Amino acid sequence: MSSGEIFWAGQLIYIREIFLPVIIGVLVFVPLLVAAFVFGFGRHYRLWKLGQPDDRSGHWWQRLVTTLAVAITNIRIIRGKELYPGIMHALIFGGAAILVLGKITRLFSYVTGITNPPQTVYLYASWAAEAGGVLLLIGGILAVIRRYVIRPARLDNMPEDSLLYVWIFLIVLTGFMVKGYRIAASDTTVTDWTLWSPVGYGLSHIFPSFLVEAKNEILVWHRAIIHTVPAFILLGYIWVNRSRLQHILLSPVNIFFRSLRPKGALTPVDFETTELFGVSKIEDYTWKQLMDLDACTRCGRCQDVCPANFSGKALSPKQVILDLKDHLYETYPVPWQKKPVEARKDMIAEVITDEAIWDCTTCRACMEACPVYVEHVDKIIDMRRNLAMEQSRFPEEVQNTLKSLGARGHPFRGTTATRTTWYEGLEVPDLSENENPEILYWVGCTAALEDRNMSIARAMVAILRAAGVNFAVLGEEESCCGDPARRMGDEYLFQTICQSNIEILKAHDVKKILTACPHCFNTLKHEYPQFGGNFEVIHHTQFILDLLRQRRLILGRLEPAKIAYHDSCYLGRYNDIYEEPRLILSVLRGIRAVELKRCRSNSFCCGGGGGHMWMEEDPDKRVSNRRVDEIIQAKVDIVATACPYCLTMFEDGIKAREAEETLRVKDLSELIAEALEKD
Amino acid sequence: MDILFRTIAIVIEVLILAAISYAVLHGVRLTASDLGIGPRYGKAVVLALLAVGFIVLIFFIAHLTTFYPAV
Repeated sequence: MSSGEIFWAGQLIYIREIFLPVIIGVLVFVPLLVAAFVFGFGRHYRLWKLGQPDDRSGHWWQRLVTTLAVAITNIRIIRGKELYPGIMHALIFGGAAILVLGKITRLFSYVTGITNPPQTVYLYASWAAEAGGVLLLIGGILAVIRRYVIRPARLDNMPEDSLLYVWIFLIVLTGFMVKGYRIAASDTTVTDWTLWSPVGYGLSHIFPSFLVEAKNEILVWHRAIIHTVPAFILLGYIWVNRSRLQHILLSPVNIFFRSLRPKGALTPVDFETTELFGVSKIEDYTWKQLMDLDACTRCGRCQDVCPANFSGKALSPKQVILDLKDHLYETYPVPWQKKPVEARKDMIAEVITDEAIWDCTTCRACMEACPVYVEHVDKIIDMRRNLAMEQSRFPEEVQNTLKSLGARGHPFRGTTATRTTWYEGLEVPDLSENENPEILYWVGCTAALEDRNMSIARAMVAILRAAGVNFAVLGEEESCCGDPARRMGDEYLFQTICQSNIEILKAHDVKKILTACPHCFNTLKHEYPQFGGNFEVIHHTQFILDLLRQRRLILGRLEPAKIAYHDSCYLGRYNDIYEEPRLILSVLRGIRAVELKRCRSNSFCCGGGGGHMWMEEDPDKRVSNRRVDEIIQAKVDIVATACPYCLTMFEDGIKAREAEETLRVKDLSELIAEALEKD
Repeated sequence: MDILFRTIAIVIEVLILAAISYAVLHGVRLTASDLGIGPRYGKAVVLALLAVGFIVLIFFIAHLTTFYPAV
């Protein structure tokens, strides 16, 4: 007899007596299992349906492929700084998948006879199921160590979590025990147990110490345990819809329906049709935003990377999602009950505080870190929209900034500078003087009106002239792009500004826009098209690199310095521009470029986004100071930026840390202009 | 010595079966909640399930101590 046949003979012992009741048990449980699953999923679906419409249709193939890729590879979980939880999750996920596949193959091979043993597939399925179980156990042990020994601050423990570990452990353990019982009770001498059922064979060694007449009793317990497994699975399905395990089901669904619009584009409000100005009740969110609440796995990655949270502020993106979820389930506790609105908590103020809502810098680090594509920033902006447009409830500085934007077309209250101050004496042409430029240089409010940043605009003019670019500016016609208004929640003001700018740009027949500000870049490129403003928009890092590649700029050697580039949120995370700034630094002679500890998509916000450039903050909780601390630790002479917000925030941070002697902040355009002078 | 091993074996079996029973009954509680049995009856449901769990556990202990084979 071949080893496979011997193995099968060993498996066959009592198999009809034992396995047949199991199959009957499973068949009895299947309808219950399906009913429980459908009911549990229906509970979620009912809640999502409460939300407002949001078209997430189309691009089905792209959605499906990405969902499968993310789910199977765990690519958004296994990251450099998240190696331990990444490996842990991969072991649990991979182990469970292999275990289930092995078990299904074994079950169907017996029932259908398609792979009638001792064909090889049965043997491999036996081995695979055991290997999967072992991987699952190792992953589970790593998870228990992390949750109860290492205890990262971002993780919260609920009683159900520990129960889940017990449940998973029991399912795997009882599976191995069943195999061990069967091997112990078998009279067949099988030589290949170690090969095809290594764990079960090991466990069976515990049982031979029973007396021979005890074998029937062992089989009774074998039967009892194996009969419990379907019940376990049934409960598992219920838990899949109720507990932390629900992410097995909901995460792929949430990934499938993720936003495919440009990352930097907020959803516009249609003021002609809507009666909702932002979100004040949980049902005001879209169905997808409600699905986000269910899909959150409470992993806390968003909290770990949040600059506001890191700086000791009230905002925790994770807590925002969990609080909104609790509020949703409190408001709709069972399928046919609904609390009237009056009896509910006030979502803004009682569930999510004003302070947390205004703490967000819209840096998008939370969304980048989230493994299941939860959209935190959009939810916070929606609440800001309600505060700004419906309730007129905002911090005083926000109010003043919005007033300045509405009245003067820029957010810098109190400045005496005008849009033309920065180029006095430079003879920069505006569109009335140069009607057909190759490119329009959109200066932006900060570079035009803030003293320190004016040198960015001047540096850009020097670069454009050195490269012989035919350019013009809007001059007095330029206004704010509207980014601060939109991020502060005043969508109406944003749309007013946006439409006015589009009219001006179209009147001048502008086709191509160059800007040094990532916020202007993002808004002009991704948000103006929502209102008919379709222009080719280029950031100065892309444009300068292009000029360098065309050898239109001849650079001299700079003073020796160690330089680190800080990734701006709106350039990096929002627009995936990571390489261009680094390539520019790489061509500068005399300097040595190094990376900051947190860089690229993991970069830490300067603290200026989301309107925070114009908001007063507790000095102990300033994000900019924390980032400057990190830059100081890198021991660099210069921190290079490609964003006027970052430059301003770092100037303040360097002063606050009294590091002016050792650390300077410069825009990349300033470095290039300096190198031009050295030529 | 045999009595000691037998006792240990029974205790392990009881622990496993208790954990399984807890998992199953907890699932039933969640299902009851999903079916609309609100917080008003929550305590009664928990007490009923506790009683069922207690009876099941007594049965397991009685069965094991009576029929569990000698080691």
